[in-house]
Amino acid sequence: MTPKLAAARDPSAPSRTSFTDPRRATWPIIAIFVGPALLVYFGLTAYPAFRTIFDSFFTIDGPGAISFTGLSNYRDLLTDETFWAAVRNTFIWSFVAPVLDVATGLLLAVALYAGVPFARFFRVAWFTPVLLSYVVVAILWMWIYNYDWGAVNIGLRAIGLDSWTQSWLGNPNTALGALIVTHAWKWAGFNMVVCLAAIHSLPSEVLEASELDNCGWWDKLRFIIVPMLRPTLLNLYILAFIGKMKIFDLVWIMTQGGPLWSTETVSTYVYKRAFNWNTFDLGYPSAIAAVWFGVVCAAVMLLNRLLASRERLEF
Amino acid sequence: MAAFSLPRLASRGALSGIIALYTFYALAPFVWLATMSVRTTGEISLNHYAWPKPFHWEQFRSAWVDSDFATYFWNSTVVVVGAVIVVTLIGAAAAHCLARFQFRGNRLIYGILFSSIIFPPQITLISLYQILVDYNLYNSLLGLTLVYISLQLPLTVYLLEGFFARIPQDLFDAAKIDGYGDLEIFWRIALPVGMPAIATTLILNFIQLWNEFLFAVVLITDPEKRTLPIGIRAFMGDHFQDIGMIATGVMISVIPVIIVYVFFSEKLIRGMTAGAIK
Repeated sequence: MTPKLAAARDPSAPSRTSFTDPRRATWPIIAIFVGPALLVYFGLTAYPAFRTIFDSFFTIDGPGAISFTGLSNYRDLLTDETFWAAVRNTFIWSFVAPVLDVATGLLLAVALYAGVPFARFFRVAWFTPVLLSYVVVAILWMWIYNYDWGAVNIGLRAIGLDSWTQSWLGNPNTALGALIVTHAWKWAGFNMVVCLAAIHSLPSEVLEASELDNCGWWDKLRFIIVPMLRPTLLNLYILAFIGKMKIFDLVWIMTQGGPLWSTETVSTYVYKRAFNWNTFDLGYPSAIAAVWFGVVCAAVMLLNRLLASRERLEF
Repeated sequence: MAAFSLPRLASRGALSGIIALYTFYALAPFVWLATMSVRTTGEISLNHYAWPKPFHWEQFRSAWVDSDFATYFWNSTVVVVGAVIVVTLIGAAAAHCLARFQFRGNRLIYGILFSSIIFPPQITLISLYQILVDYNLYNSLLGLTLVYISLQLPLTVYLLEGFFARIPQDLFDAAKIDGYGDLEIFWRIALPVGMPAIATTLILNFIQLWNEFLFAVVLITDPEKRTLPIGIRAFMGDHFQDIGMIATGVMISVIPVIIVYVFFSEKLIRGMTAGAIK
């Protein structure tokens, strides 16, 4: 009996069901569609992630020199001052910088919404930094922060604040701040576009009503736009937060974590220990990566939970 | 922002002032970079902020020919175009399947594919280095391409799944009645109908991978295999004082992105901000 006939007789056969209900497909068809993606995912994301966690229990000095060390990498981590400096910097960056990014984005969006001429041009112009790679942004801003001829110090000298001039990236007190400003420069346009779209999708009656009540822009922003945009703003905050927990490129090119670990982030520290210090041990950086993986996942879940319960309370 | 509570005229003026200032802040660094790319390093060190006079277009020729930026450019092109094509195809196939068919495990597979979007890169980076060394793919453009495919897969599936799910089911039912098989439906219906979303993911993936730095710097050490971001960074390390040539190299890396942006700014912005808008 050919398979076709069997299918015709037995209504539960897969090919038969796929013909009657287009929402169903046979397993081979599903495998053809999702198989390659799953293969890539398991081969190049899941397996490496698992292997990094596995490696974190070993000391790995090379392909032949692997020895099991149990939790000792994690114990070392507890007393590793550089690691804690990196964690501190990354947390400062992840919690503080997104506020700056989102607030700037929101103000820019409101400015555009207020109906300036050439709004389309401004929107495109302000978005441009988002497209530049971190390498480009880093090089540009290293020049802007240059002590002798950088725009920041030239500007300060021009308005007579010579005493404020300094080597912005070379001073441990200002280096992290300088990086955060650079990062905000790159991302403000992104937040602006999202906020603008969200403002445009607000029910227009509310804003028109406030217009009739002679409500100023500041009050409008405070009492109408910010509360109504809350989900978008929180979403942007989480997005920026995740991005900052991973930050590497900008720091690596501009300061390499220096001076005196003042800009070290977890990412740059992992990179240094794995590929740059010639310590040849891949186990210890794997442990850092594993810990940080846990921290990022936990932080994202926690933020989601917090925000989700907020939503329930307010609406 | 006290300006908002001032009388209307003053607030208009303040608004224009803020807008002008911000536009200067956002664009001036880039314009400055562009002017430096057509000036020689000697001219730049005399005055860092002068307008180019004359325009030294030959800077681009020497960056391209004498400073290996052509090699980096072509490496980037090969890796990025290859990865973008493959990731779009397999991402679209998976997204189509997840959006179209009901089967046990559908949401689980979607969750698995999407979840890695929050992974910090280090969790895969160190092992990918080991794995690529094991399979002789370290320092190879093919290895980097494979890694790039995996990096962009979650976002591609996420964006396309959302779009495919909104295509009316009737379209597929009709195709089915006309006798199309499931693969044909994907190839002849879903892909063409999904073209607007696919174009967005193509552009977005292109720009993100064109700018990628971390994985390239770990997985490529051979100067012949460098992509543009690490090539520029290496050039800067070796010729720290040669500002003119660095600026020219940077411009070479930025030009494709700007071209894409000029033609597809709407699509690109929509793609980048998809998922953030609620």
